[in-house]
Amino acid sequence: MNAMTSTTMNETLPAEVLALLNSSDGAAFEQALDAMVRQREQHLFRALGVLARDLHGAVSRLGSDLANEGVPESMTDARNYLAEVLDMSSKAAHRSLDFVDRMRPEADVLSANAAAVLDHNNNPNDPAAALARQAQVFADACAEGLNDMVLVQSWQDLAGQRVKKVVAFIESVESSLLELVRLTGALAGREAPVEVAKVSSQDEVDRLLSEFGF
Amino acid sequence: MKILVVDDFSTMRRIVRNLLVELGFSNPLIQEADDGNNALTMLRSTPFDMVVTDWNMPNMTGIELLQAIRAEPKLKGLPVLMVTAENNREQIIAAAQAGVNGYIVKPFTAVTLKEKLDKIFERLAASGASA
Repeated sequence: MNAMTSTTMNETLPAEVLALLNSSDGAAFEQALDAMVRQREQHLFRALGVLARDLHGAVSRLGSDLANEGVPESMTDARNYLAEVLDMSSKAAHRSLDFVDRMRPEADVLSANAAAVLDHNNNPNDPAAALARQAQVFADACAEGLNDMVLVQSWQDLAGQRVKKVVAFIESVESSLLELVRLTGALAGREAPVEVAKVSSQDEVDRLLSEFGF
Repeated sequence: MKILVVDDFSTMRRIVRNLLVELGFSNPLIQEADDGNNALTMLRSTPFDMVVTDWNMPNMTGIELLQAIRAEPKLKGLPVLMVTAENNREQIIAAAQAGVNGYIVKPFTAVTLKEKLDKIFERLAASGASA
């Protein structure tokens, strides 16, 4: 360190630190330095812990606000509702596909029967032939419409994939939050709780947070 | 032709099956698996002629299934058609590099499915003839 820098530093340093720096006791100097660094770290980790606690509180409040309005009261409920959405939309899609399975053979039979009638009688002035022609056009249009209906059901899969992504997101927010609390607690010098893999209930979240005094 | 349809959504498996039957494939010869792991077990135990698979699935994804198929001497020549909602460049490139035979982005029409299948069979016939 050159003379100029040390002069500048000396002017800005507090008296206690200056005294320490000038002291000949190396061990005392190290200890004092460690204590200062630890104190700073603890402040930081406490602050982070409080932030995590506040964030958790905000999320809980949001949950109870929603509950008062008759919507899901916690993340767990939100996940369950989304699972129900998935289940219901899947059932609805299957019902539509059942209908297609039932109607397609009927449309095919009608079309074939109409064709058989027209083979015998294709007289443009005969009302029976006109009816058969009409039936054939209708049956073919039905078959085409049923095919479209099958394809439209694939939106259930696309919508379902989005729902699954949101469920995964909620889970990751929950576990990141808990992981943050666990980490800040551990770093702030408290004993770390047993490994937190995933949050399963609101009680668990609250219990874990309280272990760290947040 | 024996086809394995792999998708974690039962709706989608049913739709793909429905479309394949509509295109003239035999319904009893079409089988289903709900993820890559189960698909691989089925492929190892019974011979199939083609795999139609989704990308996003739990346990083993479609791309992992494709890689596993290409890595296994007994299965590596199996045609694989990917039917997926994933349409970003990187994923399409990854599938191509892993040796996919066709790639369809959901939602799709029966016409698209037919086109891709025809193309797969044309290519297979061409490579078979030149081999």
